Amino acid sequence: MSTPGISILDGKYMVTMDLFPQQSKEFNQIYKFYEYLKEGRFTTTKCKDCGSEPFPPRVMCPDCYSTNVEWVDWPTVGTVIDVTEEAVGVPLGFGKPPLVHALVDLDGKKTFFVRIINCKTGELKSGDKVKLAVFDVDPVPQEFGREVINIPRVFYAFEPVK
Amino acid sequence: MDRNVCVIAGGMSKWGVRDGSQRDFFQEAAKACYDDNPQLNPKEIDGLLVASAYTERTSYQTHLAPLVAEYVGIQPKNICARVELLCASGSSAIILAFAMIKSGQADVVMVAGGEKLYTPQKWEVFYSELASVDHDWDGGQGLGLPPPVFAMVAKQHMLQYGTKKEHLGVVSVKNRRNSSKNPKAQFQTPVTMEEVMSGRMIVPPLTLYDCCPITDGAACLVLAVEEKAKQMTDKPLVYIRGTGQASVNNMSANMPNWTTWEALKIAADQAYSKSKVDPKEVNVAMTHDCFTISEIIEMEDLGFCKKGEGGFFVADGQNDFGGQVPTNTDGGLLGCGHPFGGTGIRQGIEVTRQLRGDAIQQVPNATVGLTHNLSGFIAAHTVLIYGREVA
Repeated sequence: MSTPGISILDGKYMVTMDLFPQQSKEFNQIYKFYEYLKEGRFTTTKCKDCGSEPFPPRVMCPDCYSTNVEWVDWPTVGTVIDVTEEAVGVPLGFGKPPLVHALVDLDGKKTFFVRIINCKTGELKSGDKVKLAVFDVDPVPQEFGREVINIPRVFYAFEPVK
Repeated sequence: MDRNVCVIAGGMSKWGVRDGSQRDFFQEAAKACYDDNPQLNPKEIDGLLVASAYTERTSYQTHLAPLVAEYVGIQPKNICARVELLCASGSSAIILAFAMIKSGQADVVMVAGGEKLYTPQKWEVFYSELASVDHDWDGGQGLGLPPPVFAMVAKQHMLQYGTKKEHLGVVSVKNRRNSSKNPKAQFQTPVTMEEVMSGRMIVPPLTLYDCCPITDGAACLVLAVEEKAKQMTDKPLVYIRGTGQASVNNMSANMPNWTTWEALKIAADQAYSKSKVDPKEVNVAMTHDCFTISEIIEMEDLGFCKKGEGGFFVADGQNDFGGQVPTNTDGGLLGCGHPFGGTGIRQGIEVTRQLRGDAIQQVPNATVGLTHNLSGFIAAHTVLIYGREVA
């Protein structure tokens, strides 16, 4: 969609206030999550003082309030508890309906409610395995001196293990 | 000496897909509120709390409270600020106004809430709502508009407790019947069980009539310390007895339980205990029926029926007129619509009318009323208890 009058956006109306987070280190201190995501790893921060592994990853431990945290890998395969298929009301940027979501037990770490891609209607069932799927999303145009640079971004969903 | 807090006036604009702007609706709501109590001199209002969630996004307006004050013709001197907790913004503002008055920081406070959600680009509503959940984690999964979340809740509740699609339908039929008698409601026509059961599929098992709509509109309530309230109205006084608001998680991955809402139980316990009210003593309730399944779980977690029996409770007519606790007597979110900041205030207006005895559809001899909101990814719960007597 073009945005007349806002030249630096170059037609990217969506990425100025969009659904995906700012991921570069200038705008996000947990930028390593996205760097690891590009390597196919699903990570979070573990507290070196009390051992807590919260999700989402963060700067401060929510249990003992230490800022002494390190990155740890979490499983990238989980088990489907149940599935929903959204036929109407799919937000812009999420493709054609149905938009599939599943409640996924990530090997006992957490129960995630996540988007499932590469999955046909009615295909996914309770007990099925799904795995992490990383995809590119629109880069963020950012003014850099007189230039505009495009900061690349990724995000994640899960997909059926076939 | 204890300062008791009363509701002395309330009114709302027409709700729906409206022509007009956010500020237009705040004026319409204020006018209805002033008309509700001609003895109230708006110049005596010394505080204003404005509830609006999407004002910056859909009306491009921050610093909203002074704007509303100017438009509704009041000059607050003790508080003039905005409160935001998405779907519970209005109830949060009532709690804060109650606390301001109770503590002696203000005597007469207006609480005004509303939204203009439909922008000229209607698709923006769906897109903007990706800010309603944890944007960086759940937003990116496409969970801004919550039907998939509540579809999962419904599926799990059906699996665990045998709740049926027909039970959900009973809630739609009841709330749409109630809204058809409320001229301010978005939906003016009732629906039959047949229509509900054959409604357009949204996210199985939820169909069209299981989901509340997107709504423009506003509502206002005026609270006053008891001594002044007695001078400002001849109508029966309605007191706020006690409140609770709780959050135990925000991101979906941290939800402790999908079918028992822990934060609701905590908020309800707080409100019941501060109000010295038992769930069985509540005569009328406005609960957050954003989806039909929500009202069913709320019956359980508010303690109106046993856990797991919510579907059977509503199917038995126990939360309709003549039952144990008539619920959403003005149509609820399913019938009135849901302009986020306005909803808690709309609930306060209906409970006030029920307790004063001048509701459109009156619950006979109601003396204790309850309101409830959930907000975000079922991430916070807000409960207020009103009564004809103080706690």
